[in-house]
Amino acid sequence: MFCYRIYYDKNYPHLYLATDWMWAFTRRDFIKVAGAATAGTAAYLTLKRYPPVLRAAAQPPTPNGGSAPKVTTVPGVCIQCPAGCGILVRTVEENGVRRAIKIEGNPANPNNLGKICPKGQIGLQILYDPDRIKGPMKRAGKRGEGKWTQISWDQAISEVADHLRKLRERGEPHKLAILSGRLRGQSGGLNGRFLTAYGSPNDVGHSSICADGTPQAHYAAMGFKSYSGFDWDNTKYLISFGGSFVEAWRPTTRLLRAYGTMRRGTPVRAKIVSVDARMGITAAKADEWVSIKPQTDGAMALAMAHVIVRDKLYDEKFLREHTDAPSLVAEGKLLVKNVEEEKDGKKTTYSLYTVWDEAAQKTAVWSTKTLAYDPPATKSALMGEYTVEGKKAHTVLQLWWDEVLKEATPEWAEKITGVSVETIERLARELATTKSAVAAGERGVSMQTNAVYSRIAVLALSALIGSIDTPGGITVQKGPPLKAWPAVKQDDIAKKGVAQPRVDYAGTETYPMAGKVYQDIPDRILEGKPYELDTIFHHYTNPLFSTPDPERFYRAYEKLPGLIVTFSPYMDETSAYADYILPDHTFLERWQDDTIYPSVGFPIQGLREPAVQPLFDTKNVWETLILLAKAIGGTVGESFPWKDAEDLLKSTYQGIYDSKKGIMGLGGKKVADMKSFDEFWSEFVKTGVWTDPPYTFGEWKRVLATGSGRFEFLSGNLEHKLEDLAKKKAQKENISEHDALEKIAEGLQLQARGEALFLPHWEPPRYAGDEARYPLHLVTYKLMAHAEGRGANTPFLQENLGPHVREKWDTWVEINPVTAHHLGIANGDPVWVESQVGKLQTRAVLFEGARPDTVNMPFELGHRVYGRWAKGRGVNPNEIMANVNDRLGGLEAFSATRVKVYRAEGPPPARPAMEVRSHA
Amino acid sequence: MPKWGMVIDLDKCTACQACVVACKQENNVPSGHLDDAAKARGEVHRDHDIFWMRVLTQAKGEYPKPEIEFLPRPCQHCEKPPCVSVCPVEATYRNEEGLVLQRYDRCIGCRYCMVACPYGVRNFNWHEPEYPMPQALSPAASVDSDGNGRGPQPRVRGIVEKCTFCIQRIEEAKRKAQAEGRPLKDGDVQTACMQTCPPTAIVFGDLDDPNSRVSKLRTDRRAFRLLEDLGTNPRVTYLSEG
Repeated sequence: MFCYRIYYDKNYPHLYLATDWMWAFTRRDFIKVAGAATAGTAAYLTLKRYPPVLRAAAQPPTPNGGSAPKVTTVPGVCIQCPAGCGILVRTVEENGVRRAIKIEGNPANPNNLGKICPKGQIGLQILYDPDRIKGPMKRAGKRGEGKWTQISWDQAISEVADHLRKLRERGEPHKLAILSGRLRGQSGGLNGRFLTAYGSPNDVGHSSICADGTPQAHYAAMGFKSYSGFDWDNTKYLISFGGSFVEAWRPTTRLLRAYGTMRRGTPVRAKIVSVDARMGITAAKADEWVSIKPQTDGAMALAMAHVIVRDKLYDEKFLREHTDAPSLVAEGKLLVKNVEEEKDGKKTTYSLYTVWDEAAQKTAVWSTKTLAYDPPATKSALMGEYTVEGKKAHTVLQLWWDEVLKEATPEWAEKITGVSVETIERLARELATTKSAVAAGERGVSMQTNAVYSRIAVLALSALIGSIDTPGGITVQKGPPLKAWPAVKQDDIAKKGVAQPRVDYAGTETYPMAGKVYQDIPDRILEGKPYELDTIFHHYTNPLFSTPDPERFYRAYEKLPGLIVTFSPYMDETSAYADYILPDHTFLERWQDDTIYPSVGFPIQGLREPAVQPLFDTKNVWETLILLAKAIGGTVGESFPWKDAEDLLKSTYQGIYDSKKGIMGLGGKKVADMKSFDEFWSEFVKTGVWTDPPYTFGEWKRVLATGSGRFEFLSGNLEHKLEDLAKKKAQKENISEHDALEKIAEGLQLQARGEALFLPHWEPPRYAGDEARYPLHLVTYKLMAHAEGRGANTPFLQENLGPHVREKWDTWVEINPVTAHHLGIANGDPVWVESQVGKLQTRAVLFEGARPDTVNMPFELGHRVYGRWAKGRGVNPNEIMANVNDRLGGLEAFSATRVKVYRAEGPPPARPAMEVRSHA
Repeated sequence: MPKWGMVIDLDKCTACQACVVACKQENNVPSGHLDDAAKARGEVHRDHDIFWMRVLTQAKGEYPKPEIEFLPRPCQHCEKPPCVSVCPVEATYRNEEGLVLQRYDRCIGCRYCMVACPYGVRNFNWHEPEYPMPQALSPAASVDSDGNGRGPQPRVRGIVEKCTFCIQRIEEAKRKAQAEGRPLKDGDVQTACMQTCPPTAIVFGDLDDPNSRVSKLRTDRRAFRLLEDLGTNPRVTYLSEG
């Protein structure tokens, strides 16, 4: 019988005995039930047991009207991931108190079109978390001891400002750092402004533990340093390298929506291939899962490029017109002429790149001024060797083939990646011959020890097939026309402070391409190099939980001489270790704007506004920063002319009103029709969204912002940065530039030399831990219910944690059943997962979607604090991850740690093996 | 008289579980007994956590070609519901529009209906329902013609509860249409799961209206229903993958 198959569990027969609840149900209650039933009204026995707010909700409904609570809908923007989805918050007003009861998607926002993911749905549990911090607090005991004094905002601001003022007076403002995470809208700009005015270069965002390899690859090949958009609705073929398309890639709702469109929204069902070291929901929903050894995605991408170039399957027109493939290189240098032009007293420079005209059998040039060939009819050669001015010259594509691709055969890649020759050949062919195909990648490929080059290789696949800025391909997000803030005022102290080197070595020869290296901060503090930090602010980030080997942070923060300040509304690990907590409002209580995560291409701005009055004595972090700046005084205070967050927003959004562009959400009013800024603002508050569709393809100057105005296989930006650093090093150490570059490459632990350094190529990955001792790879991943590290305190996400393995409320480790058999591990066994850094005890889940040489663990749980639902539940895989970086980009490598797994001592767990529930 | 039905396209479904969470929030579905739910790793204590909408998982095959299938499962609102015929106190009944509903104040907690339901959509309140964030509870309420409450009102210990196809939303839509002096049209009623479903895999509507989206999708060649051989005649239709 079905009911038994579905429900009966022989280990828990007592659950099916009626007695255990019947005894609990007293006779008096029973009479009440009977009475209620006969009276035929909706009476609730236990009304008195509900809190007052619920008692009101539980009043018997009146069939004909009655006093229905007043329902209003307030627009806002979700913040559970950086997508910037528009939401509508349904609120009710009862007895003068407004409370939020449901969050829905905002149909006027083109990003999510009225839809939201589960992370968006749980927003109210962020707001009403009973363990929120209720007001500013100052540490009373030792750091991390958990003793606090409640203080007033005045005291909090004046004490922190006093400390900062003294630091400035000592001439050491650079010893302040702001670590930041989920910065939305103007938050990032405001942090940067605070530091610039105060005098510190140390604005350390968390993107180096996020997926910063992707922006760095874009910068190298396309000249813009951010994520890209994709025209998913028209994509017909997607090969995704390490991107959790329907789990944790962003913007979540947009991708989920696109998945529906790709499958059934268009006449042709798109094919999705997931190249990943683990099978998650994305791979399960894809048409094909290609299981690949961790950190080897780059080799597979290069082998695919090999097939495409070998069989000439590339998009010739695109390569000629929009890439540097035909540019000629002689003696290791691009043949390029820079031309200076003077027009109306303004000097502009442009470049002429030499190419070989196949038709005319002579050289021609590509001009960055006109983005065209001269002569225009040039049919540039893509491959081959030519003699130009007596020198032998190759095209860039030929160079890439000779230096890299020739060796990168599918046979070669099979040995590295474990992906069969047949699969690589077939996928390359499918990718290159399907119209509107795209190769994309995210954290799985962009956060490895060879991340930057591997990610460029994936990007180069899209370039080879001409899938850049075309329907179904990669797009480049446009920004909004916001009004620039007045210039920052700096005194001499600030100027000197800002001129100091960054504490995380970002942009130096240690991490040349990095913008920030968040995970290395504790090492820098412990070394005291390049200087000792004094005070650290934490803005929507929790390094004591979310960085690899977080014990380093504990050790470092113990030493920190100044203040640890957090703005978190929750008692997270870092706040628990802080000296001052200046709690922010939650996203449903504050004014804040939101610039969409790159996705649809055209700009979308959202507005967060208070859906309910702040529940506690918290303060918008923007206002906290403004107050701190004013309390520090001098030029620091003068740099912050705004009264509050709303004032700041209004002055910034004046720019959109002035531009007269766009509409107030889909179906909304046109800005051009508005009479005054006040009208614009009230409309913005009403709809919560401004947008300026549609996206226009073919704006090549914007899309390809490299020096050559083209997609660069031979990256000029990489070359300039490394050669610039080599030049400086050569001068400093009195060695030749060549030797300096050699030394830098050695320091970056790169194997390639010469031209290959600037081309997408293969760098063998590095792993932490000896293979004999730690035979398995640890792959960590993000779940849909993960909310980017901030979802552990929400029961609704906890009870939906891992649908692919049917797990919840706890962490697990996925092991391939064959591997588990060899290790003597059964499903549900308690196991130790041990790396060179430490070990964790968790439960084994035997899962066919785990590679035999790999174990998978999800992020999310393992908090030491963070409220009643998160504390002490599960384990945090960060605690056994070694801090291994891609040195070129300063990127954390998330699958570089090797582990061993063995059964933990003790009785078997209380939990029996899962049975598979059948639905048909 | 509308005949409410739902179509769930498994090819579009991403197993994101937005429907699950939206349903919990909309319908004041308790988190089971929180102590138990917290202990509940996997679904051993599944009787203690309550979902009106669940995403079921089925794993097949072996490495390197394993398969996992996901199936969002609300109440199937059968035309011949086994749960109704077994209920000794008529707490479970089928209303005139074909919704299978539960009168909370009539339910005596015998759970006969849970045994009878072949789809396992029914949940029992083993404990006093616990709401992690009571401030976020919805006051939306719905009453049937007898004055019995059903829908998102808070429930009590010892009764069975299940998906109502968001009856409060159906009635709200009817009131709105009536106030505007027009008949209900396709798309007026959106269940919470349909409203949030990012890939638009869930479609809800009137099966009596031949032009409604559900009616059209039900004739798709991919359409199937769960355990069709039982003759329950469910009103939820699935469209298969691929």
